[in-house]
Formats: sequence, C-alpha cells, structure tokens
Amino acid sequence: MSALLDIAGYSLDYRTRAGTLRVLDAVNLRIARGEVLGLVGESGSGKSSLAWAIMRHLPGNAHEAGGAILLDGADLLRMRPREVAALRGRRIGMVFQDPSTALNPTLTLGRQISETLAHHRGMTRAQAWQASLEALRHVELRDPEALMRRYPHEVSGGEKQRVVIATAFAARPELIIFDEPTTALDVITGARILALFQRLRAETGVGGLYISHDLALVSQVADRIAVIRRGQIVEQAAARSLFVSPGAEYTKALIEAVPRPERRLVADLPGTQVLVSVEEIGVTYGRRQWFGRRQVAGNRGISLSVHAGEILGVVGESGSGKSTLARALTGLTPFEGTIVQGGRRITAPAQMDRAYRSQVQIVFQHPDSSLNPRQRIGEILARPLRLFGGSPAEVPRLLEQVRLPASYATRFPHELSGGEKQRVAIARASAARPALIICDEITAALDVSVQRAVVDLLLALRREHGTAYLFITHDLNLVRQVAHRLAVMHRGALVDLLAVDAVGGAQAHPYTRALLGATPAPFA
Amino acid sequence: MSARWFARRCLFIGYTLLVVSLLVFAITQALPADAAVTLLGENATPAALAALRLKLGLNDPVWLQYWHWLSALLRGDFGISMRTGQPVGPMMFSALARSLLVAGLALALMLAVAVPLGLVAALRRGGPLDLAAGLISYLGVSLPEFVTGTVLLLLLADHLHWLPATGYVPLLRNPLDSLRHLVLPVLTVSLVMVAHVSRMVRSEMIDVLHSDYVRAARLKGLPARTVLFRHALRNALLPVITVVALDVGYLLGGIIVVEEIFAIPGIGRELIVAIEMRDLPAIQAGALIMAGTYAVANFLADIAYALLDRRIRYD
Repeated sequence: MSALLDIAGYSLDYRTRAGTLRVLDAVNLRIARGEVLGLVGESGSGKSSLAWAIMRHLPGNAHEAGGAILLDGADLLRMRPREVAALRGRRIGMVFQDPSTALNPTLTLGRQISETLAHHRGMTRAQAWQASLEALRHVELRDPEALMRRYPHEVSGGEKQRVVIATAFAARPELIIFDEPTTALDVITGARILALFQRLRAETGVGGLYISHDLALVSQVADRIAVIRRGQIVEQAAARSLFVSPGAEYTKALIEAVPRPERRLVADLPGTQVLVSVEEIGVTYGRRQWFGRRQVAGNRGISLSVHAGEILGVVGESGSGKSTLARALTGLTPFEGTIVQGGRRITAPAQMDRAYRSQVQIVFQHPDSSLNPRQRIGEILARPLRLFGGSPAEVPRLLEQVRLPASYATRFPHELSGGEKQRVAIARASAARPALIICDEITAALDVSVQRAVVDLLLALRREHGTAYLFITHDLNLVRQVAHRLAVMHRGALVDLLAVDAVGGAQAHPYTRALLGATPAPFA
Repeated sequence: MSARWFARRCLFIGYTLLVVSLLVFAITQALPADAAVTLLGENATPAALAALRLKLGLNDPVWLQYWHWLSALLRGDFGISMRTGQPVGPMMFSALARSLLVAGLALALMLAVAVPLGLVAALRRGGPLDLAAGLISYLGVSLPEFVTGTVLLLLLADHLHWLPATGYVPLLRNPLDSLRHLVLPVLTVSLVMVAHVSRMVRSEMIDVLHSDYVRAARLKGLPARTVLFRHALRNALLPVITVVALDVGYLLGGIIVVEEIFAIPGIGRELIVAIEMRDLPAIQAGALIMAGTYAVANFLADIAYALLDRRIRYD
C-alpha cells in the first residue's frame, strides 16, 4: 500500500542564541491512505514542530537538517512556495488547538469558511456561501444560516471548533492534521467533537495525524500511535498493542503516569472534625454603571464542608464556578453567605485575618504567574514564613519537603521547570502549616509524568502533616484516584456532593453521569 | 451600541463641557483684565468706566455673571467680541471650520502615509526600510512642529519657491490656490502624527502577524494578499483608531503653532489674538469650542471602534 504521507529520516534544528537545538531527530513516520496516526508526546517533545514542518510553516530560525516529507510521493521540502500554497488547506488541512484564537475575531464565521471554499473550489461568493451552509450542517451545527452571520465571540467553543473542522473538511483534503483539537474544550464538548471526527473520518476516508499529549484520548481515535520524546520517535505500534505491551521504557512510564480511576492512591479515611464549611456561598460578578447595575451570577447557594485530612475533589467544566469557589474561600472575591472556620463565622473577605489565612492556603494553576519573577525562590518562601511566625532559616526545610535541592533558594522562577515551579508554589502554601490547601487546577498545565509527581508530593505532605485538600480539577480520572468525596459543579451551582465511589451510581445527578460518560477511559 | 449608551455618552460630553465652562470662566475671572478698561482704553474717565461696568454687569456677584454667560451660551450666544464688536460665536466657528480643513487634510494625509509605512516596516522587519522609517519617526516625534514647520517653509517656499509661504485662501474661492497654501501647514501637522501612527501600525501588525488566526488563515491556503489585508491589517488597525483619537488632542494644540507660523486665520490664531487683546468672550468661546471638538472626536473614535470590532459592545 502506498503511503499517503511518508516522513523519512527527517531532522529539524532551531538556531537559537544558545546554540543549535535539535527538535526533530531522524523522524520516520508513515501514514497510509485513510489511516489515522496518533502522535503522543509531552510538551517540548517536537510534536508540534513536526506539524509545522508538514504544513511548511516553520519559523525563520528553523533549519531542516536532512530527510524528506513525501505526500503521495512528492517531497514537500523541494516544493516551491507556490506549490506549497496550492497544497495547504486543499490537500492537507489543519484543525487547531484553540478555536477561539484560530478564528479571526472581526470576521463573521460564514465569511471565514466561505472564503476558504471560494478559493479552493473556485466557487463564486454565492456558491461558496451555499456550500458553507451545507458544510456547517454536516458538522451537526444547528441553524447554520444564523451562525454564518455571527462573529466568533458570539458562539460557544464547541461551535467554533465545529466551524474550524467544517472548514478543514470542506476542501476535501487527503490528510488532516489535528493539533490537540479538544484540549481547549470542556470534557463533554470534547467528547462530542471526537465523535464528530470519527463520523467524518468514516465518511470521507481522510488520513489524519492526531497530535496530543493525552494517551487515553489518542487511544480512542488513532489506528496506530507513535510516541515522540525529545524529537525522537521512541516507539510506534497499533493503538491497542501499545497499551497492552509497550516496548520502550518511556512509553511504559507514560502509560504508568496516566491517571486511572480504578487505581486509588489514597487508602485512609478522613477525620470527622470539620475544618472549614461554607454555607450558602454566592458570588456575583457585575459592574456598577451610571444607571442601574448589571449582574452576572458566578456562584449561587453553595454549601459544603471539608473535614480534617480530607481530599474533596471539585469537578466541573470551565466556567462552572470551580475557581470562583476557590476565590471566595480565599477572600479574593467578595461573596455572600458564610464561611465557618475554627468556630468563627466569616461573611466578608475583610474578616479573613492572619489566623484564617494560616489555616487556608491556595496553590494556583499557573506557577508562572503566581510566582514573582523578580524574587528568588528563597525570598518567595521566606515571606510566608516570616508572616506566619516562622523563620527564614526554615527555607531549606520547605524545599526539602517538596523534594527540591536547597540550592534552589538562590534561583529565580524562570530558571525552574514548570513542575519545579509548581513545587515551589506548594512549598509556599505549606509554609504556614495550613490545615487546608486549595489546589486550583494545579496540574492542568503540566505533563502527565510531572502531574503524577506533583500529586504524589501532595499525598506525601498529607501523610506527614494531615493536610486536607480542596482539589479543583477538570480531570475526572485524576480526581477519582485521590479524592474521598466529589463536589460536582455546573453553571455556578453545586449539583452533586457524593462519595467518590458513588459517581457512577444511580444516586448521582444526571450531569455527573454525563461528565463521567464523556471522560475518556484510559485504554478501554 | 445601545441607545442608552449613546444617550449616556452625549450626557457625558455635556457634563465635560459644563466643567470646562466653569474652569474657563474661573480662569478668565482671574486674568488681570478689566473688560471696561479693555473696551474704553486706558484714558477713560472713572465715571465712564463705572457706567460701563454697571451696563456689562461686572459689579454682579461672580456666580450671577457665570449664570448669565452660561444661559446665553445655551441659547447659542457666545457674547460680543471686545475687539471687533462682532458676535464671538460666528467668528470662532468660521475660524474652527478653517482649522478643521487643515486638521482633516492632515489626518487624511497622515493615514495615507502612516498605514502603508507601518505595514511595510512590519513586513520587512529589521530591513533597511524599517530602520529608515523608524529613524524618520523618531525625528518626527522629537522635533516640535515650529521647527519642522520653519524648516519646511524655508526649504519649499523661501528657497525652492515651490509653494506660497503663508496665508490662507478660502477653498471655494480658488480651490487650487487654496490647496497650494494648505500644503505646508498640512505637511507640518501630519509629520508628527505619521511618526506615532506608523510605529503603532508596525507594532500592532507584528503582533497580529504572529497571531493564531493569521497562521490559521495562511494554513487554510488563502492567498498571501487576502491574509495580509483581510485578516491581518484590519485587526492591526483597530488599536490605531484610539491613537488617532488621542492625536486629535495633539492636533488641536499643534495647530495653534502651525496657524501662527503660516498665518492661517484658524481657531488657534483667533485664540492667540484674543488672549493678546484680553478679549474675554473670545477666549472663553475659543477654549470651550476646542474642548468640545476634542470630546466629539473621541466619541466618534469610540463609535468607529465598535463598528469595526464587533466584540466591543457599549451598553
């Protein structure tokens, strides 16, 4: 069988000030007609660079160091710009990671899809408009006529991604590159997009390169999977056999790190003492205006409590109010209702004094923005120590606690990796020896292997100090490994609060079950 | 853009003008000028002065004088010029029209030069044209308009005799001659604005060219020209509107200097004459009209922004 895409011994360098960096090293990959190849790797592995190389859209400092990329036997590397232009969108389509940035904010959706059709299929404006309507209907979008006249900000993320997919398929390409097309979407929306992709694939017989960091997800869509690490393909195999009998050590480690709900990481039960409880917490976002006031409800009527040593998972889609709850608990936003802690009733952020803060700490999602880039790690950690009655001399102890060398105290945040930075953030939160740490999507920006290490660290801290966690995440597989109870949020309301093993049960809220159903089960 | 927003903005402009009118009135009160002395001259008899003061209401309490002035303003009556004895309103507004002609042409010229210049500089980033544009821009920003105006005047009018040096010919009387007289002032005023705006277009364009949606448009296989103009430039120009609106503020200040150099009877020149002559009603009217022009320009910029970027909603 002749290959649709044949990447043979392809190497790519980036020339930087620090020297030449090899991002792809003698990569060999083949995609047969109608085949979908999954390309899995962690951040910086070179998976996106490979996509750019195929699309012939490399940055100025890229240098191709040998090899060939053959599309149907023709080497893309030897093509003139004009031939490449004739290829893009027409023979090789692309679906991007984040539909909200991949669409032009100032053009209507209809314009953006029909301009592509008009160009590639030589249609008039009116014909292209009609064909676009048909294409949008085909990706199961309701009321395409109205949608065509809307701007990207006026529709949901899922609808935007459907428009992007419709655009990619509309020119009937032979190959489509999917660059993490569901990462920026909610679990349920992402699952629907995947289903759509499966259907379109069956209908059109298009070949695909499906790039993702998510092994569980790729295992559902790809025929074969290639694992890439530091620019090298470490292994490729049929999707099923890769999980059953991974060959390379790296693949084994990667599979091992994928959260599996059935494999519990926490065995003991929490205490009975209530640490913090929130009663009827509500948050409204709004701004004062000259005449009247427009308000948007962020959260409403949420009541729950966290027990000593408990891990309470908070799950829900983006915009469901998970982070708003964290912001209310830490006084970062004004709230209604009451927070009860240590026998005190707190009704406003101003009442959260040092005693409260020493008990309730928070770790944010992005360590890059939560660590001051101009302070050394030592200073970052000494601050809370001084504030909560400790001594800066304890900085090495804090670092050791999060498994970082004491020498890191003199470093700046940018000298650390993402996982290391998150460890520093955890160390900072634990400096006051709090009873409760709120973890707001703290592993969302990390690779799976790093995620696992950070979770292990949290569990170790809990064993040593009995810390309780409010573990906010969108990753149901992960949270089911660690949490005792789950709080499920949907559109600002708490729809479910139940023991973790009851999520699939009959008592669970329909939304909870929908969320569970949409979560890709690893290797199923 | 709701009707409510529109009404609110109009109200806000009214409020701004009210505050400006208070300030202007307070400042003119504080000036060491006695309207009666200005009108009758230094040698007037004390009796005549006292009589005139009574007639002009200068003995009334300050708030009452303000109220009289303001209520006349609301009826469209800006008062009588002490210098010419003519109503100030028509005098100032026809001067404003002449200034707006210069300003409008300068804005048009500026956009016609700055946008392509910024675009090319962004596309050939770091190239000779980018560097040259950058150098010219910095010169343009750092040289005050009385220097550039004078240099242009000496070079193009005095030395090369290509253009008339000074003066103003009404557009309708002799369009060609009128435009010839306008070339130098328009050139001078637009130079500084070309400098900021082209730099702004350049940096916005560089950002937009690196955006995901421009990359997506390229990878959809659209022709380079479509990507550049439909997808990139349109978005790059949005923030430029704000800068242009702010530049109107500069324009109003710069035009005073330029009108003085090239002897154009615009509002700036009228204002200077009014100040020299202690012509209080003219000063008050001139200041108010300029503030109003600025407020309206910003209002128009907001509307333009909302029309071009549909994400912006005023409500």
